[in-house]
Amino acid sequence: MSGGEFLEIAGRRFASRLIVGTGKYESLAVMGAAVAASGAELVTVAVRLVDFDDRSGDLTAFLPDDLMLLPNTAGAKTAADALRVARLARAGGLPDWIKLEVIPDARNLLPDPVGTLEAAEMLVAEGFTVLPYMFPDPLLARRLEDIGCATLMPLAAPIGSGRGLKLRESIAIIVEEAGVPVIVDAGLGAPSDAAAAMELGADAVLVNTAIARAGDPVAMADGFRLAVEAGRRGYLAGVMEPQVAEPSSPLTGVVGAA
Amino acid sequence: MVNGRTHPLEERETVERLLERLGSEGPYALVERNGEPVNRSDYPSVVLKPGDTVLVARPVAGG
Repeated sequence: MSGGEFLEIAGRRFASRLIVGTGKYESLAVMGAAVAASGAELVTVAVRLVDFDDRSGDLTAFLPDDLMLLPNTAGAKTAADALRVARLARAGGLPDWIKLEVIPDARNLLPDPVGTLEAAEMLVAEGFTVLPYMFPDPLLARRLEDIGCATLMPLAAPIGSGRGLKLRESIAIIVEEAGVPVIVDAGLGAPSDAAAAMELGADAVLVNTAIARAGDPVAMADGFRLAVEAGRRGYLAGVMEPQVAEPSSPLTGVVGAA
Repeated sequence: MVNGRTHPLEERETVERLLERLGSEGPYALVERNGEPVNRSDYPSVVLKPGDTVLVARPVAGG
C-alpha cells in the first residue's frame, strides 16, 4: 500500500497515521491527555465484563469526542472467543471494526495464525471490517488479505516488550506485497522505532505501552506523533540506499593541499 | 444470573431496565443473553426471564 496523503482503511480516511492503545496508564485522565497529544484518530479498547463493585469511571468519557473506537478481541485464545467478543461489541453499539487478536500463548503473547485466519474469515463474512494482529509471515499476510481483511497488523516484537522493529525484514516483504494498509503493531519502544517502521513504508503504527509506560506519557505521545510524521515524510521522499563512504564536500581546492 | 451474580428480576424487566438498575446504562453497555448478543435497538423490548444468563460488558482501557 502506502502513497497518498491519508491513511485509508475500508474507505474511511484518517489524517493521523498513529493509532494508540488506551491500556496500562496510571489513570484514565493521563490516558485521555496522552491520546489527545498523540493526535490519533483511531484508538483501541478492550471489552470486559462490568464489575458492579468497581465504579472507576467510563473510559470513553476521558477520550476526545471525535475519535473512532476500535474494539479488540484481547483475551481471546480461540477463534470462537474472538467471534463472541466482536459480535457482542457490534450488537451493543461499538463500531463494526474489530482488531482481531487470537492469542493462546501467554508467555510471548504471539498470535495463533490458524485461529486468526479462521476467525477473520467468519468475521468478514458477517460484515465486520477486520484488522488482524499477526506474526509478520508474508504468506499469512497474503491469505488474510485474500479473504478480505481491511488491513494487516504485523507485530514488530512481542506485545509490551518495547524491543523495537525486530522483525523488520519480514515486515518489509509484507509492506512491499500488500494491497491493504500495513499497520505495525506491538513491540515498538521508542519514537525512533516508529519512524523506522514508517520509513520502511508501513502505512501506520499502533503504540500503547511505549507511551503509557514512559516517564511522561503525554510528552511521549507527542514524540511518537512527530516520529510517525517524520518517518512518513522520509518514506515519501525516498530514503537513500546505503553505500560506502563518499565525501559530502568537494575534493578539490583543499586549503591544506595548497 | 448477571455476570455470575444472582439478580432478582422485576416483573417484565427489560434489558434496558436491567442496565438502569445496575447503573450500567450508557452508550457502550454491551449485553449478551443466554450466549447471544443483544442488539442495542432491542434493549427496550427484550424481556428477561427467570433463569436467563446475562453478561454485561463495556469497553475498557486496552491495546
